Amino acid sequence: MAKPTSLKLHTKQNIVGWAFVIPASILIFTFFFYPIGKAFLLSFQTGFGANAQYAGLVNYKRLLSDNTFKTSLVNVLTFLVLQVPVMLLLALALAYTLNDHKLKFRALFRTALFLPCATSLVSYSIVFRSLFALDGFMNALLLNLNVIQSPINWLANPWTAKLVIMLALTWRWTGYNMIFFLSALQNIDRSIFEAAIIDGANGFNRFFKITIPMLKPIILLTAIMSTNGTLQLFDETVNITNGGPTNATLSISQYIYRLSFQYSPRFPYAAAMSFVVFVLVGILSAMQMRVGDKR
Amino acid sequence: MRKRLSLLLVCVLAFGLLGSSVALANKTVTVWAWDPAFNLYAMEEAAKIYNRTAPDVTIEIIETPWDDIQTRLTTAVMAGQTNSLPDIMLIQDNALMKNVIDFPGTFADLTNSGIDFNLFADFKVGLTSVDGKNYAVPFDNGAAISALRVDVLEQAGFTLADFTDITWSDFIAKGKVVLEKTGKPLLSIVAESPDLVMMCLQSAGTWLFDEDGEVFLANNEALKEVIRIYVELAKSGVMVQVNDWEQYISSFTRGTVAGTMNGCWIIGSIVQPEDQKGLWGVTNIPRLETVPNATNYSNQGGSSWVVRADSPNRDLAIDFLAKTFAGSVELYETILPSSGALATYLPAGDSQAYGVPHEYFGGQAIYADITQYAALVPQVKYGVYNYEARDAVGVAIAKVLAGLDIDSALREAEETVKFLMDF
Amino acid sequence: MTRYKIGTFLKYLFLTIAAFVSVFPLLWMFISATNSSIDVLGGRLLPGSHLVTNFQNLTARANIPQAMWNSFRNAAVSTIASLIVCSVAGYGFEIYHDRGKDLLMRILLLSMMIPFAAIMIPLFMMVGNFNLLSTTTAFVLPSVATGFLIFLFRQSARYFPYELIEASRLDGLSELGIFIRMYVPVMRSTYATAAIITFMAGWNSYLWPLIIMQNADSRTMPLVLSNLIAGYVTDYGLLMLAVSISVLPTIAIFLLLQKSFAEGIIASAR
Repeated sequence: MAKPTSLKLHTKQNIVGWAFVIPASILIFTFFFYPIGKAFLLSFQTGFGANAQYAGLVNYKRLLSDNTFKTSLVNVLTFLVLQVPVMLLLALALAYTLNDHKLKFRALFRTALFLPCATSLVSYSIVFRSLFALDGFMNALLLNLNVIQSPINWLANPWTAKLVIMLALTWRWTGYNMIFFLSALQNIDRSIFEAAIIDGANGFNRFFKITIPMLKPIILLTAIMSTNGTLQLFDETVNITNGGPTNATLSISQYIYRLSFQYSPRFPYAAAMSFVVFVLVGILSAMQMRVGDKR
Repeated sequence: MRKRLSLLLVCVLAFGLLGSSVALANKTVTVWAWDPAFNLYAMEEAAKIYNRTAPDVTIEIIETPWDDIQTRLTTAVMAGQTNSLPDIMLIQDNALMKNVIDFPGTFADLTNSGIDFNLFADFKVGLTSVDGKNYAVPFDNGAAISALRVDVLEQAGFTLADFTDITWSDFIAKGKVVLEKTGKPLLSIVAESPDLVMMCLQSAGTWLFDEDGEVFLANNEALKEVIRIYVELAKSGVMVQVNDWEQYISSFTRGTVAGTMNGCWIIGSIVQPEDQKGLWGVTNIPRLETVPNATNYSNQGGSSWVVRADSPNRDLAIDFLAKTFAGSVELYETILPSSGALATYLPAGDSQAYGVPHEYFGGQAIYADITQYAALVPQVKYGVYNYEARDAVGVAIAKVLAGLDIDSALREAEETVKFLMDF
Repeated sequence: MTRYKIGTFLKYLFLTIAAFVSVFPLLWMFISATNSSIDVLGGRLLPGSHLVTNFQNLTARANIPQAMWNSFRNAAVSTIASLIVCSVAGYGFEIYHDRGKDLLMRILLLSMMIPFAAIMIPLFMMVGNFNLLSTTTAFVLPSVATGFLIFLFRQSARYFPYELIEASRLDGLSELGIFIRMYVPVMRSTYATAAIITFMAGWNSYLWPLIIMQNADSRTMPLVLSNLIAGYVTDYGLLMLAVSISVLPTIAIFLLLQKSFAEGIIASAR
């Protein structure tokens, strides 16, 4: 008797489960996969409108000899490798510190650290550019501290310009990531931490041995989100350096934008490039899922 | 029903008999343009003038930044939904040829529309026509000016005349004296922006493309000369490089730099600080001495009006432009004093309004002077791949400043542009 | 004890510096809203006397209340719709997970990796064909279901104690009932996070409203802001006032919802 009931129950739950996920899936298929499918077809063409022609893999082959594309790819991968881990660790550390119920002014700190991502891009890019101007605050500070002997032209040198972009990214998105960690920490039973304290684990140990493992599902989420955000980077580089100097901070998205709207429009080629980004992020995320998505 | 219809017919006939060239009642012409102090204001005044003879036509102006106009235009054409576009759009001259050639049939051919294009500055007609056909009604003036702080020049023993009709080597030599005696550079520029370079090229009647539309960078002697000048300006300190537009504007509004060179529309930013009133002067830009046919005149920026070809209001929109921007001196007289909107409509240049002395520039009649410059700007074609080439030149300049030789930098730039052209 | 004190001191010092660095550009923006254009570019750090002038110029220049309302309506509708659709799906993907749903989840996750520029034109064609240009529906539709938000709710559902579900089933609660009565209240902090980031994304969204919001009355705040910097001469005092106003709703939403980060909720639910 018990077996058929549980089977029936299982079938019922299965149906309910699908009913829960179907509406969102239909929306995503309609508004994301249908258009990207069209873009995929477009990437095998040249020209547009009446002049559209099937061209096979021409656009994809072309990518291999496009130096500007390669430069932009290296740029965003550099940001990904150097900036994302630092930002996520910092966000974790901040979330961990702010989750301490004995800490005073918690709400104040929390709000302050969140504010960068709410600050308008227009004003913060003006601030960043003037902080790193030749006669800006950064040079004045470093000169006074005797760290440097002569002012650095931050945004005119490829590596320092990259550094400024990474600082800007960290500044803007650390608090944003912190919010996810903070909210996940609320879901963890506080008694686990209390037990650890009684066991004599210090803050450092508690952070690495309890917090990080417990937060793994959300760390995975933020890692995928940041990977994606970095490969599709646009706002910061357009507004702070406009891709310069000598394309050292040009992102793939900005190049796609130029090819679509500023230059003589090359939509099929831009579509091929978008598709490569899509596959690349997909692979990187799949790798992260493989490591991080275990129940 | 039938009665109403016949009434309507009578009305239409009556309008026709009254001599209105376009018999359309209660029509709305939509316009996209940017800058309320300048383009939108001019459009509103044009609407007022037009409404005197055609009171039933509403001109609906929707403020839209240039970049957004381009994005919407491209999207609409690509999606095959040009009916989402307005009847009239303002287009940057830099992008006009690209849009006309890439989106054939999108813009109305105005060649035989009755508009007399001989009444506009030559260089502007050159920028707005493709294969001998006119596609846009020229509007604002981007004639290049060299605006300088006369008081600073005097401290160094110079007058504005010493900077008029001169060559670039002369400019640099005098600039060094000014820097030495007053500590002030004469120019500032946004790093990696190719604007100054483009301006110098046009002053010699040359561009980044040759007559056949082929990219012309690696063997362009004029361009090489301009980049040499750029490097010397930067290395000597006569020109400082800043990071962005905001720092560029503040360098002269705060007075840390004693001048600027740009399209004449930069005047709007120059005249902001009250404490510099009367201290400025305007003159023409230096010329390239080693390049044949070099002049002291050029253009930077500027935009023109286009009409959508498949708009149901096409003829009405053309009629509106013909009677205002291409036919009303009164319009230009009205908009000049309050907005400083300089036109390229030559009959307006003879108007008294243009001869009025400008207080901020020590009583100089700058509008009359600039209108004279505009008439002398050499004609060039910006081409379909203008933005590709500009970006490549910007990168080349940065590489040269970082130590690469000019020939290699320009060869790389040429390859980049060729790659982008070859589809 | 002294070591502990030094540690505490360093902690507060670190937080204070981080907070100051974080807030500085925002503070500068608010201060600049009270200064003249020239002072803003001059880097003035003290409040000035131009607030009223800037305000008068701004209201003469653009219809701020309407743009704020448009942005708010679009962002609010899209937030509410997304939260419902995505939390239901995320819960479904985790609680009823099997091979099929895990695979589907991974496929849906791919949707967040699609560069918007690549799908913009097909989307625009769809909206145009449905005659939805310049409507809130057109604004909202493509962002109701996002792979990211579904994933967020799915990952958070992993913290949801399964015993609670089984106990509720025994109590005779329907599956939907469990979701609404048990999951939703317990996952308040996740909802708060999702609401903040979705609202912010909708509020700041630029490219999509740019191409679909065609008439002047449907213009959102970011579009108005881009008008303010598009002229030959930019009034930076006015601009800073406008951007200051434009960030207030996001900050207000954060302040309103941030309490749910502060209290452990799971513990009280048990």
